[in-house]
Amino acid sequence: MSTSETEYLENVANQEYEHGWRTDIESETLPEGLDENIVRYISERKDEPEWLLEWRLKAFRYFERQVEEGNYPDWAHLDYERPDFQDMRYFSAPKEKASYDSLDEVPDEILETFERLGIPLEEQKALTGVAVDAVMDSVSVATTFKKKLKEKGVIFMSFGEAAREHPEIVKKYLGRVVPYTDNLFAALNSAVFSDGSFVYVPEGVTCPMELSTYFRINDQNTGQFERTLIIAEPDSYVSYLEGCTAPMNQKHQLHAAVVELIAHEDAEIKYSTIQNWYPGTKDGEGGVYNLVTKRGICEGDRSKISWTQLETGSAVTQKYPSVILKGDESVGEFYSVAFTKGHQQADTGTKMHHIGKNTKSTIISKGISAGVSNNSYRGLVKVGKNAENARNFSQCDSLLLGDQCGAHTFPYIEIGNPSAKVEHEATTSKVGEDQMFYCHQRGLGEEEALKLIVNGFCQEILAELPMEFAVEAKELLAIELEGSVG
Amino acid sequence: MSTTTLDTSAQTIDRFVSAFQVNHGQALNGTNASVAKRREAAIQRFQELGVPTRKQEAWKYTDIASVLDRPYTLPLGPEEADVSAADLDPYLIDDLDAHVLVLVNGRPDLSLSQLDAMPEDVTVGSLKDAGDHPAFEAHYGEYADAEDEVLTALNTAFVQDGAFIHVPEDVELEQPILLLHVNAAQDDLLMQPRHLFVVEADAKARVIGRQLSLTGARTFTNTVTEMFVGERGYLDHYVIQEEDDNASQVLSRFGYHEGDSVLSTDTFTFSGEVVRNNMTLTPDGPNCETNLYGLVIGHGSMHVDNNTLVDHVHADCVSNELYKHVLNDQSTAVFNGKVFVHRDSQRIDAYQSNDSLVLNNDAQIYTKPELEIYADDVKCSHGTTTGQLDEEAVYAMRTRGIDEATARALLTLAFAGEVLEQVTLDAISERVELAVAGKLPERFNLTGLVETASALNA
Repeated sequence: MSTSETEYLENVANQEYEHGWRTDIESETLPEGLDENIVRYISERKDEPEWLLEWRLKAFRYFERQVEEGNYPDWAHLDYERPDFQDMRYFSAPKEKASYDSLDEVPDEILETFERLGIPLEEQKALTGVAVDAVMDSVSVATTFKKKLKEKGVIFMSFGEAAREHPEIVKKYLGRVVPYTDNLFAALNSAVFSDGSFVYVPEGVTCPMELSTYFRINDQNTGQFERTLIIAEPDSYVSYLEGCTAPMNQKHQLHAAVVELIAHEDAEIKYSTIQNWYPGTKDGEGGVYNLVTKRGICEGDRSKISWTQLETGSAVTQKYPSVILKGDESVGEFYSVAFTKGHQQADTGTKMHHIGKNTKSTIISKGISAGVSNNSYRGLVKVGKNAENARNFSQCDSLLLGDQCGAHTFPYIEIGNPSAKVEHEATTSKVGEDQMFYCHQRGLGEEEALKLIVNGFCQEILAELPMEFAVEAKELLAIELEGSVG
Repeated sequence: MSTTTLDTSAQTIDRFVSAFQVNHGQALNGTNASVAKRREAAIQRFQELGVPTRKQEAWKYTDIASVLDRPYTLPLGPEEADVSAADLDPYLIDDLDAHVLVLVNGRPDLSLSQLDAMPEDVTVGSLKDAGDHPAFEAHYGEYADAEDEVLTALNTAFVQDGAFIHVPEDVELEQPILLLHVNAAQDDLLMQPRHLFVVEADAKARVIGRQLSLTGARTFTNTVTEMFVGERGYLDHYVIQEEDDNASQVLSRFGYHEGDSVLSTDTFTFSGEVVRNNMTLTPDGPNCETNLYGLVIGHGSMHVDNNTLVDHVHADCVSNELYKHVLNDQSTAVFNGKVFVHRDSQRIDAYQSNDSLVLNNDAQIYTKPELEIYADDVKCSHGTTTGQLDEEAVYAMRTRGIDEATARALLTLAFAGEVLEQVTLDAISERVELAVAGKLPERFNLTGLVETASALNA
């Protein structure tokens, strides 16, 4: 490897985090620690109906039992200290109000925060064609374009509002796909989830714009536990994107979200994530623990769920956005780019569970590791006994930038029906010298060439992102690579 | 013969521990201090690790606990097995001009063996008699992982006998060595043979292990094989598993080879009840070539689990792995292949592939090809496919006048053929091909066809 390429790689690996600043707003936070009263307090602050509190408490008790029994999901290829659940805060809201009825009520500091992050909340300034729900710490700040969406019958609001305004829908679907018994973090989230987004697309409606939620952890030592629920009624379509950032903190912060998607007959949900939580310092101090449970169910025939993710942040990432292919001829997709550098660790992938007949799934995963990071793909393709003619194609490619990082692949394939056609392929390599040479021949410097090659490596995935975000994603990836890979 | 019947009222672990105490003086080289020390440490470790459960990642798809939990008898001394040369005659591989070492119930029986043509400086015999051999001192217990592998610990604790092969420097063995493992048990028997193959620098050997049952007794064989290949050496090890449907086994192989050497393994599994093959190969030197080939023909309620690890601890090596499954009836196949590339093991080319052909509704496949890579200048890939015969290919053959059953059989044989192509000994590949043809479902049994073809070639 040439010197400048090495330098560039080193620089990339040492790149500082650009969203690390913190907004100074007065906030009301709960003291550190977790008990039943905290759960009751959160529920009360959010004016929640009784049934929801009951559900939270059940989840909390289950969580306590899991902690006691030591059922910690520590089987992944990750090495980090378990979060101390008594040493973090579970609720933090801007002082004056815990919810806002209109944008006028939102303090200027918060609006500026989001503007600085490139997410203007005034509709005239906003990206046209994208409705945004902005969540800071435990509270949804604002949701744009609500009216326009309402005309079509699309409900897009914070989870708190939805629990009050549409309890019948929330009650019907909450915990359907990810029950609180799923794992310890799902139980924790179910007990203390603060806010998140709720989307309901009625029958036959194609959502007129992209929906987006922007999550920002602001307060120190606060865990972020949002919950997202998306329901697509028969023959509807919705595309949803989440983005996230957090300030730099010496201490690790926990982000344990739950996302549930339900697609009925002929419906399609496209869910995209650009995850850019604070990854910690270059020496591996601080950073967000991103331990998330995401799952969708293709409930109806011919339904489709597609996950796309660009994972660049977090000190530790463990998430497996999954699809249960229950409906006949349903389709599941997973497209992922995971970029780790510095001391980051990622163990991410997907589960495709084929149950219905003639179901189809596609998995394309690209892992890029730099610095001393470790990047693992872990996935399961399961074909049930009655899943006639299931079809899966998986491809997992890893690119190693530097000789101190690791790239790993752990695919699980379980097949119980002989009519299944399942293919899996994976490769691991570094940037080819011939590729670099080719670029140099055409006058590109080390850095430009490396960017070009990495971009090409991820192209398949970035192309899956909604157009508005594909540009952002590309830029993010370029910034991540800046000054490092030649 | 003296035996200990495992007391099934006790917990599985306690059963073995008390059997160990009774068994104490009967072990391999009872007077050899280092062997005795290893045995003590191993039983200790066995107690600590316990019997693997399906909660353990490595045993997720194979329930070995229930296989171990049966009322086996443990033989303490050599038995008077009633086996004659005539019994074995049908199992010698035709056209294979080989040195033959016969092992009855896990112990070499020299009276049944044919080792007269063996070059003088080559040792093929009983591990029990190898205690003073310098190669035994240098290599025994050095590669088998009795620390983390519970069944290897169990074998190490109860070690009594097995095959010992030593090929000295610069000796290239022309004829292969056939190890004929026969189960001739009359009752539920637990056997724990231990084999050691040492191929020194610039030496060459081919070893074929063929496993058979002469009686229908229920058996469990927990084998550990250690293999060492010196610099520029060559060892090709075939295992043909054709035990009875009542026979279960865990076969753990540990291979270590030095620079510029070749270590190849071919594993053919045609019958058995629960068969688990653990394989750990460690190429520790530059320019090593490591090959792992496997073929499973599943039928009945067979359960076959191949668990392999290629541990690239040294730079500049190549490894190839290809495992194929053909599954019929209610059979289950598990493949867990891992390629591990350590930091600084640069310039590794590692290829891994696992393909399965499912012929029947009740067959199941679990496959997990893993890559764990800590060096950047590597080319590693794996691929796995599961599917059925290509209907268009079946159709194409039918349009050429081949009936459907034969067309399907030929295509199945061709699928398996990719592994058979790797076999360098013609007699073995023919034998294996015949076995594959014979194991195909009744409706397209190709034995006759293969026999005719072999006869034409001869």
